[in-house]
Amino acid sequence: MKKQKIVLFISVISIIMCMLVPSIYHTISYAQAARASDEQLIARAINGEARGEPYEGQVAVGAVILNRVASADFPNTVAGVIYQPGAFTAVSDGQINVPIDPSSSVVKAARDAINGWDPTGGALYYWNPQTATSKWIWSRQVLKVIGKHYFGK
Amino acid sequence: MGKFREKMLDWKKRLSDRHMYSVTVVIIAVVAAWGIYQYKRSADLRQELDNQYNRAFYEMVGYVQNIEVLLMKSMISATPQMVSETLKEAWHQANLAQTNLGQLPVTQEVLANTSKFLSQVGDFAYALDRQNIAGKEITEDQYKQLEQLHQYSVNLHEALNNLQASISEGRINWKELANKGTELFKKQSQSMTSQLFSDIDKTFQEFPTLIYDGPFSDHMTSLKPKGLTGKDLTVEEAKEKLKKFFGEDKVASIEHTGEVKADTLPAYNFKITFKDRPEDEFASADVTKKGGQVIWMLYNRDVGQETLDVDKVKEIGREFLESRGYKSMKDTYYVKEDSTATVNYAYEQDGVVVYPDLIKVKIALDNGEIVGFESKGYIMNHTERDIPEPKFTEEEIKSNFMAKRELKAVGLAIIPTNFGTEIFCYELKGNFNGKDFLVYVNAETGREEQVLIIINTPEGILTL
Repeated sequence: MKKQKIVLFISVISIIMCMLVPSIYHTISYAQAARASDEQLIARAINGEARGEPYEGQVAVGAVILNRVASADFPNTVAGVIYQPGAFTAVSDGQINVPIDPSSSVVKAARDAINGWDPTGGALYYWNPQTATSKWIWSRQVLKVIGKHYFGK
Repeated sequence: MGKFREKMLDWKKRLSDRHMYSVTVVIIAVVAAWGIYQYKRSADLRQELDNQYNRAFYEMVGYVQNIEVLLMKSMISATPQMVSETLKEAWHQANLAQTNLGQLPVTQEVLANTSKFLSQVGDFAYALDRQNIAGKEITEDQYKQLEQLHQYSVNLHEALNNLQASISEGRINWKELANKGTELFKKQSQSMTSQLFSDIDKTFQEFPTLIYDGPFSDHMTSLKPKGLTGKDLTVEEAKEKLKKFFGEDKVASIEHTGEVKADTLPAYNFKITFKDRPEDEFASADVTKKGGQVIWMLYNRDVGQETLDVDKVKEIGREFLESRGYKSMKDTYYVKEDSTATVNYAYEQDGVVVYPDLIKVKIALDNGEIVGFESKGYIMNHTERDIPEPKFTEEEIKSNFMAKRELKAVGLAIIPTNFGTEIFCYELKGNFNGKDFLVYVNAETGREEQVLIIINTPEGILTL
């Protein structure tokens, strides 16, 4: 009898948790996305896309975002480029909303990219050859390989 | 296996117990309610998203229609003022159309040409508008291009109208379009040949000084570097250059890690480690194959307690440049971040600041070490210029542009345009309502070319 009560209690609690967790998660992430400035946005994109990459590769991802802003083929703002549907996996899976440590290397990388460092030689695209699903991406000219990423235009 | 069977039987027995039975029913009911709630919620979100997509799409169709009408009007209008007004509006509408296009759940590759078309319409309209304001009439060639662009906007509008009909009748939904239905966009994107765009690009080269804004990176990437001389270097020779760049006594090892196959600046990529430093604290750098110039270098190390002020590190940076063969560099602006200062240096020729020949040096504020270097501007643009005598005197410029403002400094400068060309200007630094600003006045035509607001922050001096 006692055991059954415990089972019931645990079930009810876990069901309530299941219902609550997604809604809590949503409120937090939206609130933070609204406050993020360009530097934050770029840093977060780098964090989602190239966290484990060498520093050069992190700056390179930031540079690709800024090259896109300057290009006629892409939106003209940082937010426009980053949130362009289907452009970055870090946006599609919500990693863009994960807060980052202000002293982490991705923030420094974002700043270097904003200050004009472009290790890619003017790339507009990058992809991981091991996981890239788009055939089209292989029609791009490869400019440079940094870490796991190919950079091209 | 036997144990499992036993357990199942035990469960069955327990289930027949009245108490357990009701518990199970409650759990199932709650789970079902939760499921329905989640389903409804996701359906609502889906709907909300579809509505947003529809709004973006309908608005875009509207803007494209406006562009078409405005281009038409600009060809009909007889007075320069009217032409100017309609073109400015076309530029504005093209920007809005592009913003909305960017919100649609269709991938970049499919829309590249449509997007490009819109920015080219916008930039072309803007360029013609500026030309118009400067008092030059639209040439026959430009008129033809306007006609051509108009024809494309008609086609685009028609294609979008068809798509709009399909969407509103429910034959296509956005989810489908995002996944596989992108053929529709592809087809009509392809109908706009790239020929047209390269033609437009060519026209732009003929009146380059007219534009400041407008993204023309396609055009820019085809430029040839002016600051590179010498023969192509081997990897070993490039390593030697890099060793000298860092200082031979500092470098522990240099590893060739790859190449940059860019058309404009082919380069070698290196990883550099230092003596008395851990292996994982390394610098990266690209060195041009031709001439062996360092394009950029980054050394990401933790910077300790700040001991140097910005004035001191500006001097350190200048001395560094001098010793590496970059003579006559003048510091201009700087940013201070993460205990480092990034200082911009511009080349100075006969007292004229040449802003296109730009080098950025990042200096650690703990010990004055150079932790970053970027010289693409210098490599692309640097050359000895033929600087003409200004056609206007300093006094004339001052009285024309600074009569009602407090003037703080005046000098001569060469500033870049977005087209790889340069303008010889007076640089007037003034103050208005407590804010410093810079005005650039063409030293040969007396035209006001650019206004920049200087922002003084504890982190540095920036311009807007």
